[in-house]
Amino acid sequence: MSSPNYSKIGLSFFSTRPPWRLGKVASKLAIYILALIVLTVLMIPIAWMISTSLKPTADIFEIPLRWIPTTITLENFSSQFNDILRRIFLNSVIVGIATIVLSTFSGALSAYAIARYRFWGTSSLLLFFLASMAFPIPLIMVSMYILFVKVGLLDTYAALVLGHTVVTLPVVVWLLKNFFDSLPIEVEEAAFMEGAGPFYTFFFVVLPMSKPAVVAAAIFVFVTSWNEFMFGLIFITSNELRPLPVGISMYFLTQFDSAWSQMMAVAIIVTAPILVLFLVFQKSFTHGVTAGAVKG
Amino acid sequence: MMVPAMAIMGGLVLFPLFNGIRMSFTNASPLKPDTHWVGLENFAYLFEDREFGEVIYNSVFIIGSSTILSLVIGFAIALLLNSGIRGAGFFRAAIFQVWIVPWIVIAILWGWLYNSDFGLINHILMQLGILREPVNWLFNEIPAQITIITGYTWRSIPFMMVVSLAALQSIPKEIMEAASIDGAGFFRRVVYIIIPLMRNILMVLALVQAVRLIQDMTLPWVLTHGGPINSTMTISMYTFKLAFDSWDFGLASAVGTLWLFVLILLAAISMRTLSRNTN
Repeated sequence: MSSPNYSKIGLSFFSTRPPWRLGKVASKLAIYILALIVLTVLMIPIAWMISTSLKPTADIFEIPLRWIPTTITLENFSSQFNDILRRIFLNSVIVGIATIVLSTFSGALSAYAIARYRFWGTSSLLLFFLASMAFPIPLIMVSMYILFVKVGLLDTYAALVLGHTVVTLPVVVWLLKNFFDSLPIEVEEAAFMEGAGPFYTFFFVVLPMSKPAVVAAAIFVFVTSWNEFMFGLIFITSNELRPLPVGISMYFLTQFDSAWSQMMAVAIIVTAPILVLFLVFQKSFTHGVTAGAVKG
Repeated sequence: MMVPAMAIMGGLVLFPLFNGIRMSFTNASPLKPDTHWVGLENFAYLFEDREFGEVIYNSVFIIGSSTILSLVIGFAIALLLNSGIRGAGFFRAAIFQVWIVPWIVIAILWGWLYNSDFGLINHILMQLGILREPVNWLFNEIPAQITIITGYTWRSIPFMMVVSLAALQSIPKEIMEAASIDGAGFFRRVVYIIIPLMRNILMVLALVQAVRLIQDMTLPWVLTHGGPINSTMTISMYTFKLAFDSWDFGLASAVGTLWLFVLILLAAISMRTLSRNTN
């Protein structure tokens, strides 16, 4: 056997077995610097958003652009958090919470049924749920629209909640089904022995054990609902009921053509609830919003 | 137990899906009193329509480049964070914050960054000497496409990074150690070991994100409304506008049906490739 080619390893900056210590320190340092550069570049838009939102209007139109405002002001926030914004903000909160209830509840039930009672067609059902995440939404929307007009649901929160449930339910089922699969079945068997029916077992035995997964699912549902744009644009026609993203694109973007500091304040207000969710439930959050992709 | 979910999925997904396919052979429209069969007329129209061709081309270009760019960058960051540095968790969480930014905020934010007079991007590019004079990003075809692509890429990077990082960490340490003892440097290990091992995951990742981006409409709607001259008109926005601007349900359904058909085709192809790769 020939001896390993050390010169080659030494040349490689990231090698884990460099022949001399200095190389190791240098490569570690290089990785840190690179990671910091990447982070900075990715964060520039967010930093700029925050910086702009704190500026008095005059600062925005100053060249060269300045990162630090001449005076830091919260004016933009207080002036923009007005009745319209409060209203559409509230609309999105209501729709988001209602969607959490409907989507998580019905999703959890059927995920449990799929996980525990393997009946005919289970796997094709799961495949259908998975596939439906990719379906062309405008195609489905046309028939939903016709249906909602017929039954008088158009321009109600219910139309939005149903729309948002349709796009989130498959992910909820997928996420929770995987979690229920990992639960030990013995606990449920014990409950059955004690005479508990399937629904009782589900609500009082299984659900309490599944808190982290249910939280992850609920967060995913809320974030998706908060983000959703297309349904909001069409299923709601009266101004008071519009969800946040649609409301902003309709009132705020057209109203202030160049009031960018105000716009950035609005943008931060829209992001805030999601950021809070992220900071509080970091683990379930990451799990929830990346679900459905990794499990395939 | 299955009743609530099945009622929702059956009534609001499966039925609309089939009804949509049925409608694609009609001239359905809320503006017309009577609906009748038109056979393949809608499809024939689409295949001859220049606008539709442009929309397909622009969608594929915008979504394809965003997906590939974000996959490459996200994977590279994952490699960086997987090299055993301390604080990788911090970097991961910090970068992930980009993923939580709502679409509408991304639209407003990139609109501001790409502002022609006071936008940060023109400013930086001019300071670096890359640009001589400010570009009017949103009002020229290719710059407008670049705007949308950067927005999509920026938003997709964290997702690509988080999932690739999880996959990288699942590669057995012994394989990497054996390789470096054999004299494989970092880049060789990436090219000859990591990428072949992760080929399936990377492919699935790209597909998932591409499908998700195809469904989004917020960014082009708010930033450019599809313009200038349809350069940023993506397929979902085009279908949406056919249905709810022109109220031509038949034609919109035809586009949706074609879209569904392509999805099924793609799914079949990728499943075959995936199972061949695993064998």
